[in-house]
Amino acid sequence: MVFSSILFLFVYLPVVLAVYYVVPARYRNLWLFIVNLVFYGWGEPVYILLMAFSIVLNYTAGLLIARYRLREDKKARAVLTVNTVVNLALLVFFKYFDLLAATLSRIPGISIPALGLTLPIGISFYTFQTMSYPIDVYRGDTEEQKNFTRFGTFVALFPQLIAGPIVRYKDVSSQLGARRLSAEKFSSGVQRFTVGLGKKVLIANNIGALWDVYAAAPELSFAGAWLGAIAFSLQLYFDFSGYSDMAIGLGRMLGFEFPENFNYPYIAKSVTEFWRRWHISLGTWFRDYLYIPLGGNRRGLSRQILNILIVWALTGLWHGANWTFLLWGLYYAVFLILEKVFLLKKLEKLPVLAHIYALLVAVVGWMLFQLNSVGEVARYWGAMFGAGGVAATAADAFHARSYAVILLIASVAATPLPKMLFRRIPQRLRNVLTPVLVALCLVISTAYLVDATYNPFLYFRF
Amino acid sequence: MSKTTNRIITALFSVFIGGFFVLNLLLPDKTFSEKENRQLQTLPKFSFSSLFSGSFATRFESYCSDQFAGRDVWIETKAGAELMQGKQQNNGVFLCAGDRLFEPFTAPETNTLTRAVQAADSLSDAGVPVSLALIPTAAQLYAEILPDGAENDDQKSVIDSAYSQTALSTIDLFSALTAHAGEYIFYRTDHHWTSLGAYYAANALRSSWGLPEIDKAALTPETVSDSFCGTLYSSSGFFWVAPDKMETLIAAPESSSVTRYETNGTEQTLPLYNYDKLTIKDKYTFFLGGNIPRAVVETGTEDAPSLLILRDSYADSLVPFMMDAFSEIHLIDLRYYTGSVRDYIAENAVDRVLLLYSTDNFCSDSSLRIF
Repeated sequence: MVFSSILFLFVYLPVVLAVYYVVPARYRNLWLFIVNLVFYGWGEPVYILLMAFSIVLNYTAGLLIARYRLREDKKARAVLTVNTVVNLALLVFFKYFDLLAATLSRIPGISIPALGLTLPIGISFYTFQTMSYPIDVYRGDTEEQKNFTRFGTFVALFPQLIAGPIVRYKDVSSQLGARRLSAEKFSSGVQRFTVGLGKKVLIANNIGALWDVYAAAPELSFAGAWLGAIAFSLQLYFDFSGYSDMAIGLGRMLGFEFPENFNYPYIAKSVTEFWRRWHISLGTWFRDYLYIPLGGNRRGLSRQILNILIVWALTGLWHGANWTFLLWGLYYAVFLILEKVFLLKKLEKLPVLAHIYALLVAVVGWMLFQLNSVGEVARYWGAMFGAGGVAATAADAFHARSYAVILLIASVAATPLPKMLFRRIPQRLRNVLTPVLVALCLVISTAYLVDATYNPFLYFRF
Repeated sequence: MSKTTNRIITALFSVFIGGFFVLNLLLPDKTFSEKENRQLQTLPKFSFSSLFSGSFATRFESYCSDQFAGRDVWIETKAGAELMQGKQQNNGVFLCAGDRLFEPFTAPETNTLTRAVQAADSLSDAGVPVSLALIPTAAQLYAEILPDGAENDDQKSVIDSAYSQTALSTIDLFSALTAHAGEYIFYRTDHHWTSLGAYYAANALRSSWGLPEIDKAALTPETVSDSFCGTLYSSSGFFWVAPDKMETLIAAPESSSVTRYETNGTEQTLPLYNYDKLTIKDKYTFFLGGNIPRAVVETGTEDAPSLLILRDSYADSLVPFMMDAFSEIHLIDLRYYTGSVRDYIAENAVDRVLLLYSTDNFCSDSSLRIF
């Protein structure tokens, strides 16, 4: 189930919230646990078993590690290793088996048939969420969770289950017990959710249609290629950050407080800064559970460069089972290494140029991320850098005119400007304006959902 | 935010999602949407097999949005929001000057066209004269009203290419229609031609077959409906545009009838004009009763040859202009008819065959099959 659907908004959510607020506090986790599984199993009920297995596995590992941690470190390490391997094995099997099979089958004499399994929705997100919990218990960063329902509620928590943020157990452990509910918290959740819904339904879906025109175009002009690339860059940001906003908003309606996941990435002045602002919970995860354990920057420059390459190769692959994602990760590794070695210092002196550079790296990079093969990427990049020989066509002008309003709105909304301006409005006026805007956004989003001709889910590969 | 504002927002959201939840539960389900002209998804039957295959989930989600309270108003709101962004179109249909709805044409792949021509050509040795007539649609005739740069492929070159490849005799409807493009020859809200458009095309066919043209002065126009909202209206969501006028230009001969044969063997005899169809949404079915695999029109004219039209729905409104020249007009829609056309020609002593297709239907893969 996805948030941006009639089913979620007008069937699932009202039932979930109504019961949640009516039942006594001690039953709330159980209720969440049950509806989480309904949410997850909708569409692919078989994978509830996988989710249940994952909950039992990590719950048990957490208890065992807590028991052995202080006196029998070897046993604790063994449990942690087995648990991590099993978690990763499940992820690799369900997500990368076909890619590995196809790649190995290129070697003469080897032929492994593809399984064609449907990717369990959100597996990359929840695998990372759950497997970090036993690690944190081992490190002593968090207590073990003895209550099975509470742990299950955390793993399958529907707001952040399928598209992030990657909420770590230690971030929410205290909230799994008693949660305070209030009109203030609920209202702030509604506002955040509505902003996210509007970002997804009104901006991302809308501008995504423009990208689709160019992604499928047999011939690309220079202007067309850029228009398409910019459209996709905006679509992905509004789609992904919209999902995170909806997740954070839904979390607040249920009394949770999730970490932020985006912080206006397109205003970054370096690639390093971009990744501190984009999908923050993923970057933090890789930093805490891979980069730093590998030695981070503490073992000399050459080791640091190797660590960056490893982390970014895996970050790339995390996004999808295709070697283009590996290349996309390494593409970022190259810029990050260059910035570490010398570029960052130079960029600091040239803020305007630095901003253009960071935007260019992101926009050009998204094509490597989104197109399906190196050949397609080469063709698209070729057009972006003038290899097509045609500057612009009448069709480009038409598309630019048709999407001018939405492109403008999206570009402004990708900066902190609207928020700053809104805060300038006198408090009394804001008190009136906010409910009006919330209502307007809900109504128009609903209209687009009822007549949903285009409502893609971009994270089916994550 | 003040306390009151938080309470208002909380109430507003709860009432909005809860209210529509209750409303959707209470309101009776509909099976058909008049505005959209399509069947709506009704509550799917639950079974464990459909749950595990995922088909229950898919259908249940369609059910939720198809039965959403006030669906037509929501669709219209979205269409309006699209226009306000300066898009001039919604769901692939442009809203142009004079309330004309416009669906651009996409030229087929070269080999799709060649395959269609080859399928048609397999009738060239059928032993009777066979003509091919391709209808340029409104997207061609009114191409200039589209915004600059909007993709809309040229149909003239597709027709020319088909005509240059075929072994059949061809009939130029392009000139016949463009000569009258300023008149009301295509509906604004529907993809079909009007009776007037069909009349000009019929005269082009008649003169190429050596039959006398029907004099315009001999026509007896009668408006049968002024509230026709066609297929483009339905798919566009622009529910505020003015409806079309539908008319007949020639009376149905006294003793004429249309016998319609369904694939399952049932048959039904209807008049040429079906006034009862004017009360339903799909008013174009007024002519001959709408899509059917096969129909035979008894024209009431005696001792005249018989005509077989392999066709799409454009032929429905053209048949009235052929009644005096043929004693029987057979209509076969190859999208639904599965028998052999060659056998049909022999068995029914057909004297003349016409392939009458709009350019887009002629090129679509599913239309023309084995003859």
